[in-house]
Amino acid sequence: MTSNTFDDTEKRIRALLVKDFQLDPGTLTRQARLDELGVDSIGMAELIFNVEDAFGLKLPDVTVQLSTFGEVVQFIDDAVANQRAAAAPSALALGVPTAT
Amino acid sequence: MRRVAVTGIGLVCPLGHDADSIFEAARSGRSCIHRLQIASAHRLTAPLAATVQFDGTAHFEPPQLRLLDRGSQFAVVAARRALADAGCELSAAERERTGVFVGTGMGGTLSIDEGYQTLYGENSDRIKPMMILKGMHNAPAAWIGIEHDWRGPNLTYSTACSSSSVAIGEAWLRLACGAMDIAIAGGTEAPLSLGSLKAWEAMHTLAIEDPADPARSCKPFSRNRSGMVLGEGAAFVVLESWERALARGAAIHGELLGYGLTTDAGHIARPSVDGQAAAMSAALAAAGIAADEVDTINAHGTGTLANDVTETAAIKRVFGARAHRIPISATKALHGHLLGAAGALEFVLSLLALEHNVALPTMHLDVPDPDCDLDYVAGAARVGVAGRTMLSNSFAFGGTNAVLALRAVA
Repeated sequence: MTSNTFDDTEKRIRALLVKDFQLDPGTLTRQARLDELGVDSIGMAELIFNVEDAFGLKLPDVTVQLSTFGEVVQFIDDAVANQRAAAAPSALALGVPTAT
Repeated sequence: MRRVAVTGIGLVCPLGHDADSIFEAARSGRSCIHRLQIASAHRLTAPLAATVQFDGTAHFEPPQLRLLDRGSQFAVVAARRALADAGCELSAAERERTGVFVGTGMGGTLSIDEGYQTLYGENSDRIKPMMILKGMHNAPAAWIGIEHDWRGPNLTYSTACSSSSVAIGEAWLRLACGAMDIAIAGGTEAPLSLGSLKAWEAMHTLAIEDPADPARSCKPFSRNRSGMVLGEGAAFVVLESWERALARGAAIHGELLGYGLTTDAGHIARPSVDGQAAAMSAALAAAGIAADEVDTINAHGTGTLANDVTETAAIKRVFGARAHRIPISATKALHGHLLGAAGALEFVLSLLALEHNVALPTMHLDVPDPDCDLDYVAGAARVGVAGRTMLSNSFAFGGTNAVLALRAVA
């Protein structure tokens, strides 16, 4: 079971890959290895660049190896969630008591 | 040394995209220099250029196109056309004995300009990931090698305006000495960015616009010449050993007899009679021919004050009194200065001039210059006088002088 935002992220990244790399959408299963579909390490850098534009994001430098389409979607969906959390007012700023 | 045949011609050029159309344009003196239709044209003193009608999407699928600077696109398409013209299919073993030799003066300057626009113009740090791969000088040669799986030397020469003559000459050397059997050689240039045009303008080397007709703005050897006009495009030839060409029954466009290469080692930009004359003499020596055997010359003929008078003096130095009887053509009046691709395009025009036995005209030579007093075939082509043997001159900032000697097929 996946969240609505994950499904939305997946849909948008699939659309980018189809447009920029001319991939067949049918091949883009979550288990599909992107290098086997022709998206090599340089292509991945370009995908990240295009995702940043499309999502209005600044993604962290990739230190983990992203192999499958599902891993890429997860990485970007996490970044979207982190950015959303960072943009929200923090508990401290609202004066909420904390455990410490 | 082995003889070297030219068996293929491929073009992406302001005058046209095949040998027949560029020859006809050059023979009839049709200039394709025009006012640039770009948004920033108003920032140029004389927004003139010779551009190519070219749509990359007609030649490349999007995944590859996104990796190719305009200059690489020109090169890959022109090389395809040259190989198609040569009509040769190579085995895997033969592809080991090949070479790709490319000249370019400014590399992927359009892509680099675009990156700088992002960085400095828009004050953004979002440089596209492909900028290095698109901008590097050896990208055109690499892509040609990749497309045809040619696994021998893959070399890029950047000696400013003589780059592609050097590329063709260096390919000749390796073929002549037997180091390889077949080569694609030529040049490509796509220099028409605002940054590049402004830089050339700042040197005061570009022509002012002819008030009556922008197409007449480049005037080689004319007293009222005011400079060169930049052009874009690519020209490639397939070179192979004479024996190989004969054995496979190839149609031979001409013979590349030899190549002379000298360096001024003087001023970075001012041409030298000594250096240019030495390069022509070196080409004669490499070709094993006497000065008397040269029937016509394709001049570097940029239309700058300095080049044309220097080249005239250099030709006199090499050919003596006979210099006045040699028809000399300067076709940059028509297609502009393709910088790193200029030598290759003019080598092709020279081959075609010999094939058709026509001395191509130097157009827009309206006012004779007493310091440029040779026979420049002014105003109209001359049929039946090309003879059999030509020199094609290319000289450059940096002082690298390259001269190709070529001969018609008997």
